[in-house]
Amino acid sequence: MNLYIKLISGSLRSRMQYKMNFLVSSLSYGLIMAVDFVLLAAILQRFDDVKGWNLYEVGLLYGISSVAITLYRVFCVEVHNFERYMIEGEFDSLLIRPVSPLSLLLTRNLDLSRIGGTIQGILILVISIIGLNIKNVELFLLLIYLPISILSGVIICFSLGLLTATIAFWTQRIKDFQTFTLYAPFNAANYPMNIYPGWLKIIFFTVIPVGFMNYTPILFLLNKGGTLWNLALPPAVAFVFLFLSLRFWHFGIRHYHSTGS
Amino acid sequence: MIEAYMLNKHFKIYETKKGFIGSFASLLSTKHHIVKAVNDISFSIEEGEFVGYIGPNGAGKSTTIKMLSGILHPTSGEIKVGGLSPQKRRKEVAKKIGIVFGQRTQLWWDLPLRDSFDILKEMYKVPDGKYQQFLKLYDDMLQIGKFMDTPVRKLSLGQRMRGDLAAAMIHDPDVLFLDEPTIGLDVNAKTSIRAFLKELNQKENKTILLTTHDMDDIEQLCSRVIVINHGQIVLDGTLEDLRRNIGLPSVMEILYRVKPNISEISLNGIEKMKWEEEKLVIDYDRSILSSPHLLQNVTKWGEPVDIQMKEPDIEEVIQKIY
Repeated sequence: MNLYIKLISGSLRSRMQYKMNFLVSSLSYGLIMAVDFVLLAAILQRFDDVKGWNLYEVGLLYGISSVAITLYRVFCVEVHNFERYMIEGEFDSLLIRPVSPLSLLLTRNLDLSRIGGTIQGILILVISIIGLNIKNVELFLLLIYLPISILSGVIICFSLGLLTATIAFWTQRIKDFQTFTLYAPFNAANYPMNIYPGWLKIIFFTVIPVGFMNYTPILFLLNKGGTLWNLALPPAVAFVFLFLSLRFWHFGIRHYHSTGS
Repeated sequence: MIEAYMLNKHFKIYETKKGFIGSFASLLSTKHHIVKAVNDISFSIEEGEFVGYIGPNGAGKSTTIKMLSGILHPTSGEIKVGGLSPQKRRKEVAKKIGIVFGQRTQLWWDLPLRDSFDILKEMYKVPDGKYQQFLKLYDDMLQIGKFMDTPVRKLSLGQRMRGDLAAAMIHDPDVLFLDEPTIGLDVNAKTSIRAFLKELNQKENKTILLTTHDMDDIEQLCSRVIVINHGQIVLDGTLEDLRRNIGLPSVMEILYRVKPNISEISLNGIEKMKWEEEKLVIDYDRSILSSPHLLQNVTKWGEPVDIQMKEPDIEEVIQKIY
């Protein structure tokens, strides 16, 4: 634990060396996300709802997924940008330490500029919950479940990120894969799953299980269908997926090629 | 202390194509050729030995060191470092070894040197008392105290290398792997690092495996030399063995104003003489014939305009083994 604090504070102090860069990038990132949602809101205002979901309901989905995704981007930035470690052979320096390379990777850097996106996501959540105008037990259940949902979401994002990163042990480069395994699914998770065609829905509930981040539990919590299972499934799926991605990661490390010096 | 038995590392090189489809295709494609970076290497290094591991670029030096330290998994063969397999028990082995890559610092780039040491102290669980001793001792040996509070990115190459060496020793490992620790350094920095390594080896009985392109490193430090080429060991013996096999010629080039008319020169230690018009190129063995002595003779033969002395290139030395 002491080591973790030392490593994190070290990477934070490294970041602080470039203050301007940090301020500008967090501001611009928050702005981009805000514009994104304003656009969505404008569209919803015109059409009233998306396949049975009104503005505030979609806002709830959007808020959960964007908080989860931006938290993943803040804390797992080095997993996300793992390509660099393969191309520059920098992974060597993680393997010579008596600590697991994954924990070194996670403590190496925090991308605080993404915090802007997290705050914006929380704001959307607050506005949506107020706008939904639900009461008593339903509200209580929703508020209790929200952190669980976000945490499951972060774990699912992290597992996806780690799976994609592991591919780099063979291909070196993963930027092209990330579009399909991360960016597109992350975007898709901002909207209700029932707007997608069947084959896409199957993908989002199996190999790239972003549907469980928000859609599954919210469906039940907003009385749109489903059973209590809808609440139990997301954390279960998240942990199984995490376990699988960790196994794949450890398998991949054995195939690490390093680079010539 | 370090054992390698029938060690192999083969790399499959796939043809990579651009774009998503391309990288996906190359993931599935079977079109590849195999590069035998390390090919049936065996050696055993005892405690307290100082071994030079030399060979041309791409011979397999770094690949070997990366397997010995647990970074890479060998295709086949066995490794033991301090009795343990670096692949199966990587974390335990990591505590027994210190590694320095001359080309890449292991320090935290944006932080003061002291912070890197603090983090490593925590990582290797070095007790406070031992850590204070370490700081004192390494300030004496490497004079790192002067730049302890300077961010690593602002250090000179020589300072950074001293910092890297100290960082590799923080957990008092028995074995040191040094991959080109003197690369790019000026003469002074090289001298101080060599003195430090010599002391580590002789006073503290550390086992050291060193790769280098600098023959001076080998001559001044190593009691044993392993030469590798095309992934295979071509010589494993003492410095004397290496000398006997190929000689360690130094080269002197003398440009004369007028080509002197000398027919026969018999000077003990001269291995080869060659005229390139007015320029005389002499390969000689420094252990038999000292440079000042040769210089004295050279000026007797004629009127030199320019004299240059060169150290043998490791690539040339390796070529001579065949």
